[in-house]
Amino acid sequence: MSGALPRPQEGLDGPPDTRGPTAPVPGSIFALGWLALGLVILGTIAIILVHAQRSGPISQLCVDQKIEPRAEGARGVCSIVESALSRQETFVLLAGIAVGVLAMVGGFSRYRSMPSRRQREHCIAGAVLGIQAAALAALMLLFRGGQVGAFASNFLNLSYVSGRIGDFASAARITLTLAFTGEIGGIVIGLFLSMLALSSRRVVRAPARAYINFFRGTPLIWQLAFAYFGVALGLDVGVISPLVIAWAVFSLNTGAYAAEVFRAGLQSIERGQIEAARSLGMSYGQAMRYAIVPQAVRRVIPPLMNEFVILIKDTSLITVMGLVASQRELYSVGRDIYSATYNATPFLMSAMGYLVVTLPLIRLVNAIEKRLRSGLVSIAGAS
Amino acid sequence: MQSPDSSIIRLEGVHKWFGNNHVLRGIDLALNLGEVQVIVGPSGSGKSTLLRCVNLLETPTLGRVTFEGRDITDIRTDLNEVRTHIGIVFQAFNLFPHRTALQNLTLPLEKVLKLGSDEARERALEQLSRVKLEQKADAYPGQLSGGQQQRVAIARALAMQPRLMLFDEVTSALDPELVGEVLQVMKDLATEGMTMMVVTHEMGFAREVGTRMVFVDGGVIVEEGDPREMFASPRSERLKQFFSQIL
Ligand SMILES: Nc1ncnc2c1ncn2[C@@H]1O[C@H](COP(=O)(O)OP(=O)(O)OP(=O)(O)O)[C@@H](O)[C@H]1O
Ligand SMILES: [Mg+2]
Repeated sequence: MSGALPRPQEGLDGPPDTRGPTAPVPGSIFALGWLALGLVILGTIAIILVHAQRSGPISQLCVDQKIEPRAEGARGVCSIVESALSRQETFVLLAGIAVGVLAMVGGFSRYRSMPSRRQREHCIAGAVLGIQAAALAALMLLFRGGQVGAFASNFLNLSYVSGRIGDFASAARITLTLAFTGEIGGIVIGLFLSMLALSSRRVVRAPARAYINFFRGTPLIWQLAFAYFGVALGLDVGVISPLVIAWAVFSLNTGAYAAEVFRAGLQSIERGQIEAARSLGMSYGQAMRYAIVPQAVRRVIPPLMNEFVILIKDTSLITVMGLVASQRELYSVGRDIYSATYNATPFLMSAMGYLVVTLPLIRLVNAIEKRLRSGLVSIAGAS
Repeated sequence: MQSPDSSIIRLEGVHKWFGNNHVLRGIDLALNLGEVQVIVGPSGSGKSTLLRCVNLLETPTLGRVTFEGRDITDIRTDLNEVRTHIGIVFQAFNLFPHRTALQNLTLPLEKVLKLGSDEARERALEQLSRVKLEQKADAYPGQLSGGQQQRVAIARALAMQPRLMLFDEVTSALDPELVGEVLQVMKDLATEGMTMMVVTHEMGFAREVGTRMVFVDGGVIVEEGDPREMFASPRSERLKQFFSQIL
């Protein structure tokens, strides 16, 4: 090696990569870690898919596992049981453990002596992946010793959901529509309420506080039931769809939480901003509208999105209302099929439906928060 | 009835309490058109509070403030209108960070003075070039140095065409090498005949530009007069002590 210190390369944007190259040993430990995890996860999926191709009557193995041969979806459940208990699966799990342990031992025993940062990271990452693979495989081995048949027929009987995909899709639409319109309503109410709650006059503040505290202090499920049974049905206010009532309650409820979010956001703007605006002759309303609110809006986006994620899940509470089939959202649809079949697979389907929506949203919130923290937004992106 | 009064701003018997903290203890002060009043005093003596009572950012607990013969402490006064005639510049700049330098100037011109956008823009650019920042018109405050931000803040106040300008330690938050450019803008303004009240720790500026000086301590005006005379021969013990501490 020469004694010259490395210099930044010309014509490259960003800092140079100083992690250094990897080497055969750490590189292969890293690869082993991935291999172990891939074996366990992808291997299992592949085995399930291969077994799913089978048709015809169910095997003795499945009968032993107490699967009723003439039950609905028995063939599908059986193929899952067959794959879980197959020799191929045993091989995949044991191989996953072996490779995983190899990566773990190799990585942890060597990472200290690695000469570059990238080599060290490859050793550690390989070892961690190996641990994950071995742990997962061990869990699955343990699970295979239990009631695989009962588990598969209760949770993985796809015949109960396969014909209902359309129902789940329209339920997802109702869930999203309710959450989205409820959030919009809540933001409008919340912005208005927060201004009242920030007033220096007690007579203005008090009703706003009472509203906020009431909706934050009572359970949402109570609010829904009260509005539907107590008000809509009890007072006989005419035929209103339960979904409209639900939307109103979600708006009112979210309004209380959004008001607190906005209040915190508005209060986080330095006092000098409103003083500057007022001393230029702006009225309180103008100062709010042109100077304070535009700055506060940026700071409240992440907490409002978190509220939105919460609301998506809370729409499931409308199940307390009397819903006809076409009004069911994700949770109700799953629970409904369960009531008809006493099979829990639809519940898992509901969970998948929620996750499909909430996971990207959660990622988005985290990304925006990171951006806000790094201060990029405060310079760029003026309205 | 108001007696005929040549002063643009007059404070009479102004007291201010923050809770039980008696910060201003009877301030009497008057300023004629074209004067540059410098206000000096130790930290916490109430200088900022005094200045903020002039445009009613703080409401005096007791006493009267008269602007151009109008009692603006009268609760029926349209303060928004009064404030368009009194510019103020703060130690912390207080530019709107979500708007460019130019937009910081045009916002009040359009929304308060109701100028058309072309006219507002023209007037804003004129003021930005007065503080030598026309080339920074489209920069956001976060992209400007402290000195540049403070000059934009001065331009923003001037664009309203105020008849009185208030400055509250406008150079105190600046790196030493940026102080000069802001003081220069203020000197030019004084030369052009702007009536100014300036709270400052810059004694050179006070001596050179001030036509009058008041020394505030403990919420009262301890001594006032011509700045050069006060520097040359302070009468009160407290002013002597103050000078010995900061000079
Ligand atoms: N908004 C407020 N609420 C409560 N107390 C305040 C407020 N503003 C100022 N004070 C108090 O009033 C007193 C005088 O403050 P002021 O800012 O007027 O002093 P100052 O002379 O400007 O000091 P400095 O040179 O440090 O700026 C201080 O004791 C301060 O704590
Ligand atoms: Mg001060």
